[in-house]
Amino acid sequence: MTLSFFDQFMSPTLFSIPLMALALTLPWILYPPPSAQWINNRMITLQAWFINRFTQQLLLPLNIGGHKWAALMASLMIFLISLNLLGLLPYTFTPTTQLSLNMSLAVPLWLGTVLIGMQNQPTIALGHLLPEGTPAPLIPVLIIIETISLFIRPLALGVRLTANLTAGHLLIQLIATAAFVLMPLMPTVAIITTIILFLLTLLEIAVAMIQAYVFVLLLSLYLQENI
Amino acid sequence: MPQLNPAPWFTILLFSWLVFLIVIPPKVLNYTFTNEPSPQNTQKPKPQPWNWPWH
Repeated sequence: MTLSFFDQFMSPTLFSIPLMALALTLPWILYPPPSAQWINNRMITLQAWFINRFTQQLLLPLNIGGHKWAALMASLMIFLISLNLLGLLPYTFTPTTQLSLNMSLAVPLWLGTVLIGMQNQPTIALGHLLPEGTPAPLIPVLIIIETISLFIRPLALGVRLTANLTAGHLLIQLIATAAFVLMPLMPTVAIITTIILFLLTLLEIAVAMIQAYVFVLLLSLYLQENI
Repeated sequence: MPQLNPAPWFTILLFSWLVFLIVIPPKVLNYTFTNEPSPQNTQKPKPQPWNWPWH
């Protein structure tokens, strides 16, 4: 019974059109291009305000070299937050539950930051492997540990997003099934379960936005170290 | 877990990067923002003396 709950994450096809393709191309209809006038409608104004404030906040700790990444970070944030939030609608496929998508975003971007660091300032980039003030006998062990933690970063980045969203969707499906099954048997318990489901859905909306933000924020931190 | 099925991994990588590089940045870059107006200084700065001669 439990195994069938994972079916919601299979890359679905409808009439042999992979729905992953639709799920990746259609959400951007929600971002219409602004008009040539200074004042647009409410939705576009809100989207512009969000992108502006987000990019400004994200780029605060970065030096000038890091500002070249502004467009990429803003695009990544829009990409992730749209996919996450739209996936909370019933019967919608969430591409970010696929480990393949998250790893394919995390690994190249992390690798980009590491390579930039190694190319432009190799001493500083390698210096991050040894925290200041380490006692001398601990140095070799600590370098090994820091190297491992460096290489785990892309893995953690991708798996964090995947696991959070997958777990959230799975919980929603489980509790919804429980509420549905309990309704004829024990109505009061079913109502309590429905309230829990409602609260969980609110949590999942928050998680969807926070996880997208955390992904981009961590990427900007990795960039900060290396640029 | 169906996510671990390696069959569509490369397709998904390709497709997601295509969307991420081609579709989204033009949309994001089309948003324009006005400069935030700064309040005018109440005191005008005193004119600095200029002592290098005309050449």
